[in-house]
Amino acid sequence: MPAFLRALLLLLTSHVRQWPLRTLLTIVGVALGVSASVAVRSANVDVLRSFEQAVMTVAGPTTLEVSGGETGLDEQVITRVRTIAGVTSASPVILQTVVRMRGEQADQAVQVVGLDLLAEFNTRGFLLSQPATESRLMNMIQPEAVFVGAKLAAEWNLSVDDQVDLVIGPKRCICRVAGILQNESDRTSSWERMAVMDIAAAQITFGMVGKVDRIDIVTDEKTAVEDVAQDLRTVLPPHLTVERPANRTRQVEQMVRAFRLNLTVLSWVGLLVGMFLIYNTMAFAVAQRRREIGIYRAVGMTQSRVAILFLMEAGLFGFLGGIAGSVAGVILAQELVALLSRTISDLYAPVGVSEGGLFWAGQFWRIMLEGILIGCVVSMIGAVGPSLDASRTATVRALAPGDYEASQQLRVGMLAVMGLSLLAVAGLLSLPGPIGEVPVLGYAATLCLLAGLACLAPICVTGWPRRRQYMGLEGGVQGVMRGIAVEHASRSPGRNGVTVSALMVGLAIMIGVLVMVRSFRHTVEVWVTDTVLADLVVAPSMWLRGTEIGSAGRSLPPAWLNILSSIPEVAAVDSYRDVRVEVNGQRVAVVSRDLRLHAQWSRYLVRNGDSSEQLRRAADIRGLLVSEVLADRLGVEEGSTLEIMTPSGPERFPIVAVFYDYSTDGGKLLMDRALYQSLWHDDLVTVFPVYLSPGSSIDRVRERITEQLSGAAGGGLPPLVISNTELRKEILEIFDRTFLLTYVLEAIAVVIAMLGIVNTLVTSVLERRREFATLRAIGGSAEQIRQLVLWEAAYLGVIGIALGLIGGGLLSLLLIKVINKQSFGWTIQMIVPIGALIQAVVLAVIATLVAGYFPARWAARQPVIDGLREE
Amino acid sequence: MVTALRDVNLEIKPGEFCAFVGPSGCGKSTLLNLVAGLDLPTSGEIVLDGRSTYNLTSYEWTKIRRETIGIVFQAFHLVHGLTAEENIALPLMLRGENGQETAKRVEDMLDRVGMSHRRRHRPAELSGGEQQRIAIARALAHGPRLLLADEPTGNIDSHQGAGIMSLIRELAISGGQTVLLVTHSLQAAQAADYVWTMRDGHLVSRTERMTELVTP
Repeated sequence: MPAFLRALLLLLTSHVRQWPLRTLLTIVGVALGVSASVAVRSANVDVLRSFEQAVMTVAGPTTLEVSGGETGLDEQVITRVRTIAGVTSASPVILQTVVRMRGEQADQAVQVVGLDLLAEFNTRGFLLSQPATESRLMNMIQPEAVFVGAKLAAEWNLSVDDQVDLVIGPKRCICRVAGILQNESDRTSSWERMAVMDIAAAQITFGMVGKVDRIDIVTDEKTAVEDVAQDLRTVLPPHLTVERPANRTRQVEQMVRAFRLNLTVLSWVGLLVGMFLIYNTMAFAVAQRRREIGIYRAVGMTQSRVAILFLMEAGLFGFLGGIAGSVAGVILAQELVALLSRTISDLYAPVGVSEGGLFWAGQFWRIMLEGILIGCVVSMIGAVGPSLDASRTATVRALAPGDYEASQQLRVGMLAVMGLSLLAVAGLLSLPGPIGEVPVLGYAATLCLLAGLACLAPICVTGWPRRRQYMGLEGGVQGVMRGIAVEHASRSPGRNGVTVSALMVGLAIMIGVLVMVRSFRHTVEVWVTDTVLADLVVAPSMWLRGTEIGSAGRSLPPAWLNILSSIPEVAAVDSYRDVRVEVNGQRVAVVSRDLRLHAQWSRYLVRNGDSSEQLRRAADIRGLLVSEVLADRLGVEEGSTLEIMTPSGPERFPIVAVFYDYSTDGGKLLMDRALYQSLWHDDLVTVFPVYLSPGSSIDRVRERITEQLSGAAGGGLPPLVISNTELRKEILEIFDRTFLLTYVLEAIAVVIAMLGIVNTLVTSVLERRREFATLRAIGGSAEQIRQLVLWEAAYLGVIGIALGLIGGGLLSLLLIKVINKQSFGWTIQMIVPIGALIQAVVLAVIATLVAGYFPARWAARQPVIDGLREE
Repeated sequence: MVTALRDVNLEIKPGEFCAFVGPSGCGKSTLLNLVAGLDLPTSGEIVLDGRSTYNLTSYEWTKIRRETIGIVFQAFHLVHGLTAEENIALPLMLRGENGQETAKRVEDMLDRVGMSHRRRHRPAELSGGEQQRIAIARALAHGPRLLLADEPTGNIDSHQGAGIMSLIRELAISGGQTVLLVTHSLQAAQAADYVWTMRDGHLVSRTERMTELVTP
């Protein structure tokens, strides 16, 4: 090792040994920041990776897929596909979900793939034993025969010929395990957690006779895949999509891009606050060792090496914090994956749940390396300022007696001007639109806002208490203690400004996100209250599990309309159908219902005009109502027309109204059910909203509905009959689940900010041991010393909280009006949740005092005599 | 373990001015710290005003310092952020005293140490001698019966040192305070009524006449 490095290492380790507590606090802070970032990134990657892996595993050798969206496609299409030059094979596929039942409790949802097992025997990456007899062969293709992945079989304790209780589409049935899917190779495969059925059996079981979800095509190696795709597009009905399997992953990625990006950015907040912590630690280290730096310079160390010494020290903190943070992040990610998968499945598309894939194939080490790198980079960036300051130390002054730091004047005024300028820049950056659908300038505005307020922190710390006199103050000894504390805090605007900034950033994010989430929740509540007016909703039994249960599990027979309408207390029944189709390359929800009936009984929150009138008009002129998000994305408005590829060919629709909708950020189209049926040839219903006659008992009607429909279900599952109140509660629960992670991430940022306060106070206490000892010697009690430190904590806390409140308010505006609007397209009505804000402030005050308590206690316990000896 | 003091038995009467001299490490500062309750003896007993200090709690010692003892340090130990007058008022305020009474007392102390014109200055703006004058005023502001001075002239030049010693003597006599002075300086020790010489933790000799120390 070069002599210089050895010398650096020696100095570095001695410093770490000298200040173990500060070192520990700093490393913990970095570790927390890294853990949040690593966890979110890993979970994000893992969720989509597991989805992609499942897609590619099922696809096997498939090079092209023909799909008809959620409504499926006619199996006859396959004949036409096979006639295209370059198509080697074309196989029908059904891709649905079953839910395993444990007694009467619904358990895990599992993907089931329907394949032509006879034609595709052992070609998809899993192995089945060859049926020895014809009867075994027949067993394989029976409707209730299901092949189960090896891991699933082990978890569910199943072997061949065992029975398993499954909810398949609208029905519940006892299936027979016809075989266990074995892996083709030693490597882990997504098949291990899936089930397979024969295509014919799947068609019967899922109620899709004559239909398939898609056709998988293997093309000739000599023909370009794109050429085959082009030929297929020419021959096949225009509403069918022809794409490579990987496109599906890209589509889902595209759908969740804004969601993931916002989550990722939020996870960086911890790192940002951690950077303040590092700055603080290193600034203290430089001040503490100013004389030592003078000695280094006097004995021949160059300026750059002094800077490197401090950068290396910060790098070491980052390295250690990175290791700890990565390990914690991986553990946290395991928890996040389930939450994230659930949220993405709730809001976007079924992605399934990964199972600890982070440890696969060197993933763990990649994450560790990333975490360490993030820790080092963040720490070293945070240490740049103090390191440069150290390198510029004036040797003679550093070695001379007296306080070097006292002669260092922080230009608080200039910083304040810079802060105000940054705030103005933040305002300007919030005006333009997104870049490539990403609110890049909105994020930049957020950074400018926080940086601007951080620049204002030193002047706030130093400004008001200057030259204040304590003599004759009201409040006696308390007033004096307060005065000394404030005076001391204001003497170090640089270091304390950084602490205040860390607290400000943590709190501003907390308040900004809190206001945004509460406003969003309020908006959703208003939307739900105004638009969900049906007294009861009759839905498929697993409907509340969202997209996770597959399309077959989310449909009801249309004949139930008559049954429901015949119940005396029922005043009206609507048939609501919700399917996902592609419009202009984007996956959107097409909702169809009886618009006239809806106009009479309920409403949509339309942007302009009257809901009932618009709904009736749409029904009359075969028009559409478009959600705000989709209208913005497609650049259409009331009065425009929109062309959609339907199974009956391209259709142009007039847009009658634009409505607010918060159920999906993918966009929604609303049309009359009759129009939908005539174009999509789909008469299934997703749910039946039921309106009751005045004075009817909801519980009694619910019982009657359950009773009557259970009989009509013909062996199927009884439907879910959910009341209006329950449905609203469920919607808000999904909402709260979606933002759960947000709260966790902001809590991490606040904890790091608190570590910053502890760090600063520990520093302050260490520096002032002599002062405290003097106070004790002239009659000050241990309690008074404790109060002094707590007052200092409170002073910094008050400034941090005040700035945090201002920052939080401005940040919430940016989040609601700029970032969210540009990311998701939703209009959110801003509210000021006074109660929640008070809670946040009280929490910050308590956290500040708790952070101050330990250094205060330590200060009060120090032996007086040692403090008086301190130089 | 190093024994700092051994077989130290002495009685100091009210109003006496006693100095302790001796080489570095002889235990004189330790003795002062023990009397102030800043350090605790492993054995032995200190009796203040006829009251044993054996087994006193930290808070009881704080109260004794607050009421009875004033301390002057070699390094002045003024609170940097406070002005001269605020530093003087500090022990009074720590006792919960404030307002006009305190202001008057501070005014008086500033006059007595000749620092009225520097009342609004902070320690960094004062010379060593001026800082020590403020420290003396602070030590006497609450009217202690015992003044402990640990090398009060150690950080200032001899000229200022002489001024400080005569100030301590003058104030102590006028206030009727008992003074315990620890010093290296034989010149400073001349201010005392008698001087104990210490070596290796022992009291070696007591000299009544200051001049005897100055002339070997």
